Amino acid sequence: MKRHIGRVFAYVILIALGIVGVAPFVYLAILSAKRRIEILAQVPPKMVFESATIARTYREVLHSQGMLEFTANSVLVVGLATLVALVIGTPAAYAFSRLPFRGKEGLGGWILSLRFMPPIAVAIPLFLMMKSIGLGDTYLGLILPYVSFSLPLIVWIMVGFFDEVPREIDDAALVDGCSHFGVLWRVMLPIVRPGLATSALFASIFIWNEFLVALYVIDSRDLQTITLGAATLVSAQRPIDWNIAAAVGVVTVIPMLIFSLLVQRYIVRGLTVGAVK
Amino acid sequence: MGTQALAEGSGISAGWFGRRGAEAWLLLGPCLFYLATFAIFPLVYSLRLSFTDLTAAVGTGRWVGLKNYSDLLADPQFWNATKNSLIMVASAVTIQVVLGVALAMFFDLQLRGSSIVRGILALPMLITPIVVGVMWRALLNPDWGLINWAIARVGFEPPNWLGSVEMAMKTLVLVDVWQWTPFVVIIVYARLQALPHDVFEAAQIDGAGRISTFRHITLPLLMPAILFAGIFRAVDEFRSFDLIYGLTYGGPARTTTTLSFFSFQNGFQFHNYGYAAAVAYVMLLILVAGTTILLRYVQLRPGHTQ
Repeated sequence: MKRHIGRVFAYVILIALGIVGVAPFVYLAILSAKRRIEILAQVPPKMVFESATIARTYREVLHSQGMLEFTANSVLVVGLATLVALVIGTPAAYAFSRLPFRGKEGLGGWILSLRFMPPIAVAIPLFLMMKSIGLGDTYLGLILPYVSFSLPLIVWIMVGFFDEVPREIDDAALVDGCSHFGVLWRVMLPIVRPGLATSALFASIFIWNEFLVALYVIDSRDLQTITLGAATLVSAQRPIDWNIAAAVGVVTVIPMLIFSLLVQRYIVRGLTVGAVK
Repeated sequence: MGTQALAEGSGISAGWFGRRGAEAWLLLGPCLFYLATFAIFPLVYSLRLSFTDLTAAVGTGRWVGLKNYSDLLADPQFWNATKNSLIMVASAVTIQVVLGVALAMFFDLQLRGSSIVRGILALPMLITPIVVGVMWRALLNPDWGLINWAIARVGFEPPNWLGSVEMAMKTLVLVDVWQWTPFVVIIVYARLQALPHDVFEAAQIDGAGRISTFRHITLPLLMPAILFAGIFRAVDEFRSFDLIYGLTYGGPARTTTTLSFFSFQNGFQFHNYGYAAAVAYVMLLILVAGTTILLRYVQLRPGHTQ
């Protein structure tokens, strides 16, 4: 009997945890479906929705406020920066995992420590650099810094994945006269595909969410990324229309949530690389 | 015996100059070059900036030596920001680690449906702190927010979460705990699953109770994962900026202005680039000192933490 009660209690906690995790998202979605006046008057919000209200709010957010355009900008910036970072970072991770060379430990520690760098420490110099080479207020001016922010992350994750591949596999290929490039390209890349997906996922999330550097580099409204656009629309400094703010939040979050659900199994792998073996 | 002979012995060259050495250079080169240009150079640039009085209005900025740093030490707002940063890091990391380990143990009960709940709890980590801020400003709204309604409903006086100087930092930490405790849970839980089961069985045969098994066996085995998670959280708390921007904007009365936010305000709002760079460099010094001390106790290398 005592055991039974304990079990019921444990399930109550489990359900409560689930609610704590998901309720803020649901609340935001509900607010975005209400009229401004309803948010102020209905506490708690009634579960009655009008499709006309929802359509009006989201049309306003997507078109008049430009969130659709910001989303497209972000997809472009995230895609390009992630791709470039993978192309540059994967061979480096392979070298760290497999090749003996002088200064390896120091160099590795140096790259990984960049992962701890506060973006605030480089935002101003990056902004001044981009401006001086004529890339202020351009996509390229964002993509270049984003690649360098993602590189330590990608190297970190990929070294973990390369380390898991048994050495015998590449040794066999090396004995057969394959170069390290050949081994990496033909033998290793197919094996570490989950690693590529994991690092692409984490780099994408990071870049999608980044907004400090974007705040400095981007001036034009029509070049804003989604997080920068959202931040300027719902800034804590000024009074806002809550239905609009909530819809902006929903629009910002949904692409990442869908993306993460599609590749959910990689999330835990990516977070635990280096923590557990 | 030279490196050449060694290299032949192992089949791979250890130097930079053999065929294999050149390959190492080609594989690493782009990454190193890129980071040197877009990470190290900006850091050096930032250090230089911190010795100038550059503002957005003045073109080049005059060399002022250590003036920014001495101004900083005399600036009560800098000390206020330092204090807030330390409070935020210490309280958020402590709560997240304790709660995270407890929840990892809870998930280890393997209740039906717990993998779904773990999946749900991973979501907050993925979303931008800007939206987390909006979400919680709505939930905690003094006039119509759901949480205050619920608190009033059960007969308590709801606190002024974001508007009062006593509560704002606590609220900031609370929201951060909501977003990031799952990180600790995931790391510690994964380690827990990797532990050999016979250890626990042996302890039970020896008649060890649950609490003493946890204290003397589980906790020491989990320690590397807990330290790993704790260090990552500490660094991320320290450099955290977006959540403050989205939730409190440093207020009220600067009670949530941390070093990150203080540097941002000086740089972006007041266009004092030199001063902002000096604040950022003090942050870097604290980070380097902090992580150097911490890394004496834990080794951080992917795949080789134990």
